[in-house]
Amino acid sequence: MTLYLPIAEMSVNIFVFLGMGCAVGFLSGMFGVGAGFLMTPLLIFSGIPAVVAVGTQAAQNVASSITGAIAQYRRRNVDVKMGVVLLAGGIVGSLIGVQIVKILREAGQFELFVSLSYVTFLGIIGALMLTESLNTMRQAHAGKSVFGRSSGQHSWIHGLPFKIRFHRSKLYISAIPPLMIGAFVGFLGAIMGVGGGFIMVPAMIYLLRIPTNVVVGTSLFQIVFVTGVTAILHATTNQAVDIVLALVLMIGGVIGAQFGAAASEKLRGEQLRAMLAGLVLLVCLRIAWNLIAPPEELYSIGRMLGGH
Amino acid sequence: MRILATRTTKSHHLFDGSNHSPFCLKVQEQRRVSRVFLGLFLLGMAMVSQEAGALAGPKEQMRKQQPELPSLKPKIVRDIGKETVEADVSTHSIAVTSGFSGTKIVIFGAVNRPFPLAPDPSVYDVIVAVEGKSEPLIVRKKSNVFGLWINLGSLRFESTPSYYTMASTRPISQIADGSVLERHQIGFEHVNMTLSRNALGIRSRKEITQYQKAVIRLKRKAHLYQQQDHGVKFIGKSLFRSSFDLPADVPVGPLKASIYLFRDGNLLAQFTSHVELRREGLQRWLYDMAFNYPLFYGLMAVFFATIAGLTASAVFRRKSV
Repeated sequence: MTLYLPIAEMSVNIFVFLGMGCAVGFLSGMFGVGAGFLMTPLLIFSGIPAVVAVGTQAAQNVASSITGAIAQYRRRNVDVKMGVVLLAGGIVGSLIGVQIVKILREAGQFELFVSLSYVTFLGIIGALMLTESLNTMRQAHAGKSVFGRSSGQHSWIHGLPFKIRFHRSKLYISAIPPLMIGAFVGFLGAIMGVGGGFIMVPAMIYLLRIPTNVVVGTSLFQIVFVTGVTAILHATTNQAVDIVLALVLMIGGVIGAQFGAAASEKLRGEQLRAMLAGLVLLVCLRIAWNLIAPPEELYSIGRMLGGH
Repeated sequence: MRILATRTTKSHHLFDGSNHSPFCLKVQEQRRVSRVFLGLFLLGMAMVSQEAGALAGPKEQMRKQQPELPSLKPKIVRDIGKETVEADVSTHSIAVTSGFSGTKIVIFGAVNRPFPLAPDPSVYDVIVAVEGKSEPLIVRKKSNVFGLWINLGSLRFESTPSYYTMASTRPISQIADGSVLERHQIGFEHVNMTLSRNALGIRSRKEITQYQKAVIRLKRKAHLYQQQDHGVKFIGKSLFRSSFDLPADVPVGPLKASIYLFRDGNLLAQFTSHVELRREGLQRWLYDMAFNYPLFYGLMAVFFATIAGLTASAVFRRKSV
């Protein structure tokens, strides 16, 4: 059964994309991570223009993160004040990111930029996760988890001005670091089509020293809003959101996530993380290969979105 | 005597009359001779001018020949009798809906010959070209920079046909000369591709040709440019038909079908028909929204995402309870 995508302007097999949404949803449910970093490269590999892949994925990220955000909010694991500060930074970052996408797209360098960003971030995160999970596995008595460390140690970050008291996080820190982190993650979300949880969570734990119990909830809370804003900005600036494609991916993702969450209960944390790290590195290598391998065709026709 | 006189006068008259005609012949002969001379003179002139043309180089010759051709063409047409061609498309309006996965159009037509003892249809050649709306396009070329393949070169075309497919009774290079095809913009090499103004003058002719060839190659690979060398078939004496595949990603907009009738390498007649490709229903609405009301469209996308997410979380909750 074929489905014509109005913005990507191509006809695709609906089951292929439903299956992709399902598979990525399964992984995201199993690992408890956002689907963007897997979905965006997959969409690009399957021929969706990079800009449309990123813009559409931004919309899909809203759907995939809102479920988790609501669940976390009910458990009172969201520091709304911290979330709003991160969100303020995130919107600024997203605004900048979407403009940069526009400029790069017009210069014909967007795909290169997306690929390089993915190779860099997936490479670093995959390598870190792999070493961490392998180390944990080696130490049979896995008493110390990396994400479990929360200390009251102070760093240079705590010497900055504009201090705000975050009750839920039990912190009294400057608003500048969360703003910066939010902006950076918002920027990445706009150019890579990701929620940015994989940057946000470690940054909140290691840089801001937010207690782990509110980290995931607060991160999800701000991701919902930042990806929503990013999707709207991509729609207005780049006309890059394909609603039909997004709906197909959402349906697939929702179904896949259910099975993924069930599957995750049968696996241990470090095993899951090692598998996720392997997956992340595979995607990274696949994108890197596209950059290095001599292309069959040197020429390509640039897409002129909105040139109608 | 009188009779004789009359006879003589008569005979004289007769003689006079008989003498008149040889004189007349002489005059006619003189005229004919002068005509022959004039013809020879003109032929000589033509040869001299042709020689001069050949000496002046191929460019000069081209320029000299081109203005002569149109003056020759109507003569030929008048000699054979005026053939015309008429054609129509199977559908004039194609709806691009959510289920659109490409379609097929049939173009059929007839060669009208004004006299009964018309030649066999095999002397005619028909070229049918279907052209999509022209659009700007940018072609990029990758180069290896420190091991990475990066788009470095690019060339912008102000207009290129978004879709171009032609079918013909035989390969178009056999139907007519390149110059004739060029004049009527028939064929991938001759179809109108306008370079962007700022791209002119910067590049070598060779490089521009490479880019242009790349456009044709890429578009052919995507089935947006197609060529069917024997795609036009005559049915009987004057009817012909050809079919065209419109791929799923055919650019939405008007399509122009041009039908050219050739004989002995000369264009005898031409006919144009139109097909309209329109987004319909939901597709049209979404597309209009996305480009005319992008803010509303973006909000709608986020709204749908929220609904999808909330529905999922409701389902999850029910399951866990």
